[in-house]
Amino acid sequence: MAIKFKALSYVYNKDMPYAHKALDDISLEITEGVITAIIGETGSGKSTLVEHLNALLLPTSGSLEILDYELVADKKIRFLKPLRKDVGLVFQFSEYQLFEETILKDVAFGPLNFGYSQEEATQRAKDALKLLNIPEELYNSSPLEISGGQKRRVAIAGIIACDPKIIVLDEPTAGLDPKGAKQLIELFVDMNRTLHKTVILVTHDNEMVYNYADETVLLHQGKVAYHGLTLKLFNDKNMIKEYDLLEPQIVTFRNQLKEKGFKLSDEARTLEKLAEEIKRQIK
Amino acid sequence: MSLIEVKNVSYAYNENSVAIDDVSFDLEEGTYTTIIGHNGSGKSTLAKMMAGLLEIQKGTITINGLQVNVDNINKIRQDLGIVFQNPDNQFIGSTVRDDIAFGLENKLVASEEMEAIIGEYVAKVGLSDYLDYEPQNLSGGQKQRVAIAGIMAMKPKIIIFDEATSMLDPKGKKEIKQLMSQLSDNHITVISITHDIEEVLQSDECIVLNKGKLFMKDKPEKVFADAEKLRKINLDIPFAMQVKEVFRNHKIKLKANDLKGMADELWQLNSKR
Amino acid sequence: MNNLVFGKYIPIDSFMHRLDPRAKLIGLFVMIFAIFLPKSWWAFLAIGILVLLALISAKIGIRMIIQSFKPMIMMMIFLLVINTLTVKTGDVLFTYKSFELYSDAVFNTLFVIVRLLLMISLTTLLTATTKPLDLTLAIEWLLKPLEIIRFPTYEVALMVSIALRFIPTIIEETIRIMNAQKSRGVDFENGNLSAKISSILSLIVPLFSVAFERAYELADAMEARGYVPGAERTRYHILRFHLQDFLYVIICVLALAFSIYTRIYL
Repeated sequence: MAIKFKALSYVYNKDMPYAHKALDDISLEITEGVITAIIGETGSGKSTLVEHLNALLLPTSGSLEILDYELVADKKIRFLKPLRKDVGLVFQFSEYQLFEETILKDVAFGPLNFGYSQEEATQRAKDALKLLNIPEELYNSSPLEISGGQKRRVAIAGIIACDPKIIVLDEPTAGLDPKGAKQLIELFVDMNRTLHKTVILVTHDNEMVYNYADETVLLHQGKVAYHGLTLKLFNDKNMIKEYDLLEPQIVTFRNQLKEKGFKLSDEARTLEKLAEEIKRQIK
Repeated sequence: MSLIEVKNVSYAYNENSVAIDDVSFDLEEGTYTTIIGHNGSGKSTLAKMMAGLLEIQKGTITINGLQVNVDNINKIRQDLGIVFQNPDNQFIGSTVRDDIAFGLENKLVASEEMEAIIGEYVAKVGLSDYLDYEPQNLSGGQKQRVAIAGIMAMKPKIIIFDEATSMLDPKGKKEIKQLMSQLSDNHITVISITHDIEEVLQSDECIVLNKGKLFMKDKPEKVFADAEKLRKINLDIPFAMQVKEVFRNHKIKLKANDLKGMADELWQLNSKR
Repeated sequence: MNNLVFGKYIPIDSFMHRLDPRAKLIGLFVMIFAIFLPKSWWAFLAIGILVLLALISAKIGIRMIIQSFKPMIMMMIFLLVINTLTVKTGDVLFTYKSFELYSDAVFNTLFVIVRLLLMISLTTLLTATTKPLDLTLAIEWLLKPLEIIRFPTYEVALMVSIALRFIPTIIEETIRIMNAQKSRGVDFENGNLSAKISSILSLIVPLFSVAFERAYELADAMEARGYVPGAERTRYHILRFHLQDFLYVIICVLALAFSIYTRIYL
């Protein structure tokens, strides 16, 4: 039931002079039920990887096993809809996918496509909107006439309403203010902890990764450079240096404290925890 | 007289939503000012009014002694450039060189002189090898640098950055922030509207807007001194300030403002024990 | 969509790339006449050689030319079938039961195909060696006489060049929105009429709303950089006719003269 990439490669414009290998022999097993971050520079293959998860792209070679489905190179698939229902993809700047006359209709659009009845779809839409904190009086407004932050949340509700087992988020907080960003990411953490959804987070924001992701996949030039615990990656000075990773600030600070002579564990993700460790040593 | 004087300015998109509500402040020549506030606090509206892209409904804005209005705007724009949020939507030319030329053409620079000017400014943003690149082959950060070069080539006194880093990856963000600092060092008045709380630390002064009103205008350290006050209006404080705050809650007062200094202080406390 | 070869600019340096776009555009018009006038193989041979030389001097691979022919193959086959069934003049080349193939059917088809191939080669030659922006400048120059009747050639040229600049951006955008809607269960290929309409709407509405947003922001950016519609501007790109440009046009005119000659005397 896991997500298993087996020697998967993907080539854009295959057979053309400007062919480009975006994913190069990826073998990777993403753990179910946890929050996994996918990081890497622009152009490292993050988006290409993610677009395989619900068969927007099919492997050029190799295969991908996801839930009960399997994607194999050059093989047409017949289970597109159930796969896309089970794997919800929230794209970057997802607010640009809104198009229906009302917010409620837009959120119900996905569930209807995936075969829920009108009634069920509307109910699912209402539940999702509530979860995303969209006030009820807006349900019948046009999704094109609300604020940017609200649009983003409506678009995300549109995916949540389809009840996916795996939620994939591409830069979900880009352009939001700090509080809005925090609320949104904590909602997904909550969905992971209480509903056991597998969450895959594609982002450049290493602070967010360090704070929330259990595991991290680091892509570099279409290959997996690291896959394992997030804490381990960011506390590995060699990895930070080799892949020019932006160090989470708490790690920077902790390293400075360690250089002074403090004995500190790498466990603390929050300043509060770090401060407690230090206080114990000072007093 | 200050370079920019904003007096009792208000703006409403419609009756129900007042974007800017009676805002007044002055900005001195050569300062680097950041403007922060939650989404919908009116930051971008204010920037657009300064650049004459939105009509000022109430109050006045004076730039370099000229009041911003329809009659003066073309003159004011010679002193003022603006870098927008979306790198794609401000790339006008079909290549880097054409994009930088666009402003020069408007400024009636002679064709023979353009090549040298383009070369000079493209070098300033580190893109000399990219002169013939088309926008789709440039990263977001590179496109923003092209926009900055295009604006610098027009030699403005003031450059406004309207969330110019918010759509960029960390590398692009860093590059643009460095450029902003450099511009400021070269006595250009920089006004940056931003969500990036860490950027505020590199500015001389910070304006905080809340629901269209001027909430604070002060030096960054002063603005961040009261974290609770900022959190109430959905803003956060920079990491270093958070460190200070957390230790203060643990009854440990730190004097330094940077991480290294604070690590030093903590170690000294530890050694005294 | 990225696989389209026809009309694509190839960013290399060559003799053809360096020619003035106006010369190339005039050359194309002249050659179109030269291709459509003659009925003699001699004319086609001469033009064919010229086109081949031009292709070689443009350093365009044969592969690319073949690529750009591909979309036309079906049309050519269709043409051949129609002609063999309808044209009943000339000598009978071959008989199968009651079906007779006439020589004119074959020759007529060949003429059309050769003309088409030459046309495509010439257009590809122009678009592959001329930046869209330069092409716009050339068209603007050709339209200059219309300014007498107050036709805003400059504004139109600027509009066209901005439109060209945004084509890749909009293609990218389209792919992204399609992917987003596919993820919400939209099937762009199958489905009944009402599903089709809703899937098209789910693409068109966001595409338009983004396009308008882009247009507003672009207008702001242009204004902020001192653009005033209708005001005087200097030009960065100034087209200059050189000796080789004259020579190129003269060669094209000679080709036309030869094909007129063959039409009248051969």
